[in-house]
Amino acid sequence: MRRNKLVVLVLAFALIAAACDGGGGATTTTAGVTTTAAPATTTTAAETTTTAAATLEGVELKLWGWSSSDAENTALSDLVAAFNEATGAKAEFQPQSDYDTTLNTALAGGDPPDVFYVDSFRLADLAEAGQLAPVPEGVIDDPDDIYPSLREAFTYNGTWYCPPKDFSTLALVYDPAALDAAGVAVPTSWDELTAAAEALTTDTQAGLAMGVEYPRWAVFLFQAGANLTNADVTEITLDSPEATAALQYVADRYADDTFVRPSDVDAGWAGEAYGQGKAAMTIEGNWIVGYLKDSFPDRQFAVAELPAGPDGKGTFAFTVCYGVPANAANPDASWALVNYLTNAEGALAWTNAFNVMPARVSVADDWLSSHPELEAFVTGADYAHRWGFKPGFGDVTGVFNEQANAIVDGDATVTDLIGETVAAGEDVI
Amino acid sequence: MATQVGTKPRRLQLRRHRGPQRARLDWREPYLGWLFTAPALIGLVIFLVIPIIAAVWVSFRDWNGLSPIFESEPVGLANYRELLLEEGVRQRDFAISLRNNLYYVIGVVPVQSILAFVIAVILNQKFLKGKGFFRTAYYFPSITSSIAVTLIFVFLFQTNGAINQALPFQDIDWLDNARGLIHNFLGVFGVEDGPAFLTENEFMGLELWDWLAGPSVAMTAIMMLVIWTTTGTLMLIFLAGLQNIPVSVEEAAIVDGANGVQRFFRITIPLMRPTIFFVVTLGLIGTWQVFDQIYAGTAGGPRKTTFTPAYLIYFQSFTNSKAGLAGAIAVILFAIIMFFTWINRKIIRDTGDV
Repeated sequence: MRRNKLVVLVLAFALIAAACDGGGGATTTTAGVTTTAAPATTTTAAETTTTAAATLEGVELKLWGWSSSDAENTALSDLVAAFNEATGAKAEFQPQSDYDTTLNTALAGGDPPDVFYVDSFRLADLAEAGQLAPVPEGVIDDPDDIYPSLREAFTYNGTWYCPPKDFSTLALVYDPAALDAAGVAVPTSWDELTAAAEALTTDTQAGLAMGVEYPRWAVFLFQAGANLTNADVTEITLDSPEATAALQYVADRYADDTFVRPSDVDAGWAGEAYGQGKAAMTIEGNWIVGYLKDSFPDRQFAVAELPAGPDGKGTFAFTVCYGVPANAANPDASWALVNYLTNAEGALAWTNAFNVMPARVSVADDWLSSHPELEAFVTGADYAHRWGFKPGFGDVTGVFNEQANAIVDGDATVTDLIGETVAAGEDVI
Repeated sequence: MATQVGTKPRRLQLRRHRGPQRARLDWREPYLGWLFTAPALIGLVIFLVIPIIAAVWVSFRDWNGLSPIFESEPVGLANYRELLLEEGVRQRDFAISLRNNLYYVIGVVPVQSILAFVIAVILNQKFLKGKGFFRTAYYFPSITSSIAVTLIFVFLFQTNGAINQALPFQDIDWLDNARGLIHNFLGVFGVEDGPAFLTENEFMGLELWDWLAGPSVAMTAIMMLVIWTTTGTLMLIFLAGLQNIPVSVEEAAIVDGANGVQRFFRITIPLMRPTIFFVVTLGLIGTWQVFDQIYAGTAGGPRKTTFTPAYLIYFQSFTNSKAGLAGAIAVILFAIIMFFTWINRKIIRDTGDV
């Protein structure tokens, strides 16, 4: 009897285990299904108002994105509700968990959402796959108002695919008190950065915390006039003397411990290292502002433009756009929503609530009046480089990151990094 | 011998019982059979058979995972060539993932199997009190969500986390240390670089010296985590097997004067051979497919030392738009698992029948 019981128990657990395995896949679907249920408020707003744009009356639109925070979800939902009120459409923001996986599946299955977030790094993949509709003439108000570097980020093979939702750039975040105490000014050149990092390094605090990965290190390449690829991503250009000098500069700072890798001071990322006071400076994007205010409210900080290198200033712009699928059910309605969210009023309404910046030049001043301390991030847009290459390029940045970490570990040299990365890049191109 | 004696009457009883029923159900029986198995079969076909066929088919095509699948270009064996023959970043990444996973298997499978066996034997003792409690306690990690367990372990393995606090020696940078254990061990004797024939020769784009790196410290942390979670399941299987060993055999051995050690090696282990085969096979399959812990714990880092083929499949298909390549990795992974299962079967068969 006992024996049988145990066998039954084992079988039962095996079944549960199998069910749980299946459950993994099912959860995503459930998440998708639950979010489809429309928030009652949105729908009523759309139904009660019967104003302008009769063509959009009752048109259902799904807007997919990933979820960064509840506050952000609510703000975007509010903006979409305002669009519904103005047009009578029934648009809805549906944040997806496991965004890449969910979106890939929907696109490959031929049933994409009407509008969806596209990260600049993913643009090439989607455009190359023919899944994105180019921006039709005239649907976006005053496209020349959008920062050229951001339009460029969503242009692939000469075609502009989508208007940016907002953007972030990298800047130098520093502790003003620590700089004062060490008697150094905010660095504006590499030499000054070296000196400042040295002066600020103590037993418990590094001069500067920076992630060891391409999206951070590359700003030094830009400042030296180098780049991983040429503008069209048809050629790897990392094996240049400028690139070697730039990477050697960075490697030396880690070698003399005035720069520090966040994980080496037990921090998940550079923002955490800065917040915990383990570094006096860091190179991060606007997102660090909200993070520091939430998690380290007592930690003071100020933001400056990145120090200029031999070839002047350079930074990264990270941006996301609203894409419309090539086979959209109702392209006019989709573009109307995209325009509503990205024109001057929409961009300002959206970005005012957060520490992301509007992608339009005309509202920059307006935005800055409420975020004066973040000016350095906005200024960066003038000389920012885009974050994106061509399909399959994740392998190449992967090799760069691996080798960069090996340099910091003392197991590789800049020559190794350039050699390996160029080989990988030529392979993919 | 004894097992046959034990089960024979029951089998006869069943057969006698089946006689009249069989006649009554005669023509309906095959249909009813299919009907009863249909729910499971339909599930299997939709969620297992079709995806497997699709994966094999995709592995011969240049599919980006984004366009409709039938619009992809057939490329023959190009994906396989890129992984196995052509020197380049994809081959090197694949080689790294195979190396990492091989060390992971070598580390995890024997430890979890032996540990589970020992625990099962202890829990099978008649004099032990509170068996139910221990059984539940050991099994508990296995029924906890692997993602949740991984996230907790990530906290435990922090440099200032609980594990370093408990250990007497200096703090270990568990999850961010890319140094291989074998390299570390050799480093103790001052060997920092391999001999020329190891560093100058490559296999699949990876230096032989790097093949011999051993699992990185980060991978070792993941191995410990996995051993902790899976030992419980395997223990339960061993326990079921142990309870199927008839007491009479054990008693006969005692009468013949066999001591405890002799009984363990001459009776328990031989009779447990089918269970051991089952557990080791399960272990091999599971460890070659490790994904959750990597995805939630290290995302392949540091320096790719926790890249595994399963994680590479995810990376290539969902973030790098190379679903065709991912399909080829999946097929090769399947072949590897089949190969190891076959070896396992051969080893255990050669020492007696399964």
